[in-house]
Amino acid sequence: MKAAERINAVINLECPDRVPLAPLLDHWAATYTGITNAELMSDPDKRFNAVLKTAIDFKWDMSFLADTVNTTLLKLGVPARLKLPGIDLPERSEHQFDEKEVMTEEDFDILESDGLIALFSKLIPRIYPEMTVESAMTDFARASTEITDQAAWLRENGIEPAVGFVIPGPSFEYFCFARSINVALTDLRRRPEKLKIAGKRFCHDMLDLAIASSGQNNIGRVFIGLSRSSPVFLSNKLFEAFVLPDLEVLVNGLMDANITPVFHCDTNWTKFLHYFQRFPKGKCIIELDSFTDIFKAKEILGGHMAIMGDVPSTLLAEGTRDEVMCYCKKLIEEVGGGGGFILSSGCSVPLNAKVDNVRAMSESIDEWG
Amino acid sequence: MDQLAQTFSALEEDRVYQIVDECLEKSIAPLLIVNELSRGMEKVGQLFKDDEYALAELIYAGEIFKEAMEKIKPLLLDGESSSAGLVIMGTVAGDIHDLGKNIVITMLECSGFKVIDLGVDVPAKKFVEAIKESGASLIGMSLLLTTAMDSLRNAIMAIEEAGIRNNIKIMIGGAPVSEHLREETGADYLGRDAVEALTIARKVFRQSTVDAR
Repeated sequence: MKAAERINAVINLECPDRVPLAPLLDHWAATYTGITNAELMSDPDKRFNAVLKTAIDFKWDMSFLADTVNTTLLKLGVPARLKLPGIDLPERSEHQFDEKEVMTEEDFDILESDGLIALFSKLIPRIYPEMTVESAMTDFARASTEITDQAAWLRENGIEPAVGFVIPGPSFEYFCFARSINVALTDLRRRPEKLKIAGKRFCHDMLDLAIASSGQNNIGRVFIGLSRSSPVFLSNKLFEAFVLPDLEVLVNGLMDANITPVFHCDTNWTKFLHYFQRFPKGKCIIELDSFTDIFKAKEILGGHMAIMGDVPSTLLAEGTRDEVMCYCKKLIEEVGGGGGFILSSGCSVPLNAKVDNVRAMSESIDEWG
Repeated sequence: MDQLAQTFSALEEDRVYQIVDECLEKSIAPLLIVNELSRGMEKVGQLFKDDEYALAELIYAGEIFKEAMEKIKPLLLDGESSSAGLVIMGTVAGDIHDLGKNIVITMLECSGFKVIDLGVDVPAKKFVEAIKESGASLIGMSLLLTTAMDSLRNAIMAIEEAGIRNNIKIMIGGAPVSEHLREETGADYLGRDAVEALTIARKVFRQSTVDAR
């Protein structure tokens, strides 16, 4: 089987010839290939070459294009000032976000009536006074072309590009950054209707961008970020009221366009796993970061959607090769049994992961996959 | 007044302020009102432990508490705001994530502790200086990034090298923190969430009171 066929088989809940391997790659591409994180984030060619070398060397079936460290995409997708290696931070460190309240209560009305681009044009100058919305959109168009080319080059090397667009998440995830988390969480109670109405517009506009991008770069999967809408932050009642309706809009919209949603679940989602049963069978991937009980996920969602994960970042950074092999074996046997499983890192491969530990993931596939 | 703790734990924000205003109008002792609010916060913490509430409720309760305190604070007499204990909090060097740290601070403050917040990206020597200057008995170190685990190790080592390790209890918390890391660093406590951190603080200060006797 070719890598793309293997991934498709997993999404369709079939048993491929072996478990596919697709760690979430971003900063570690710099660590492994010897470029700085500053170069990785700002230079598209160096970023792609680092991704390609890493994915080839470790025999990955599918690779992210280090989308989550693409400065252009981060500046547009996350409404918080990006602190960059080489500028605000040491050049061999990972980026971070300086979260402040940049979105006002009135901005909900702007989002609702005029849409996402109108909101961007309000927020961008507040977050990046040196940037205009026009320059941001030009940068986005250029990044989209680069991703289209890079996806094709990756495929020429037999590796499937992971996602064609990164949706920051349901609107609540976005508001958590733009309003700051404490304010967003109190908004849920102080102005619930405003959040719901503006959130709906957010989803429709974000969906349009995702479908257009995925159509352009021909990658039929779209990432949906899920972190602050997890059960760690929200009770069932709040999740059902504010997040689930958004997720339904996003998922149904993507599926109508024949795109596979990739739920990127950070933190512990175990308590909310049952909600994902409502989405059509054999059409989604749920990606877990090791805080969710992946074995429980197999019980609840196995046979319903593909499961991807979840070698813990602390294990990759501080464990031994044998410990990584042992954990991968368990994943392959217990979560991979019967198909529907992609072996991956729990969230990104950490910047300080040991090479031997990342290699151990590939070796585990050779051994037991 | 009787309903205040209950109303608070049900997160009925406007009603909480209304009851506080009524109590103040009736000249009820401000400290009694604060105690009722703290009792309400206690109940919120219990609901969090019981999995009925999540961080959203905890943070919202913290916001209500702060706003209610704005009404009460000017009326508290000198000495009435004395604290249950002094705690230092900070996110270790190389990490600017402050969400977990801030929730812990809210819980501690709502329960009467005084907190020195060193902020984020705190170098080891700043933790050491804060311990020396404040005389606090408990310090909380937070982190989210896997790459910041070494900063945590360095900070604890710096406290040991400064010869003040026996003066302070150390609690650590955050996504990459594990029992293994706690043992390795010699930290005294691992707080998995803000409610656990509060339990630890209470335990430490009960302990220091006993020691002092």
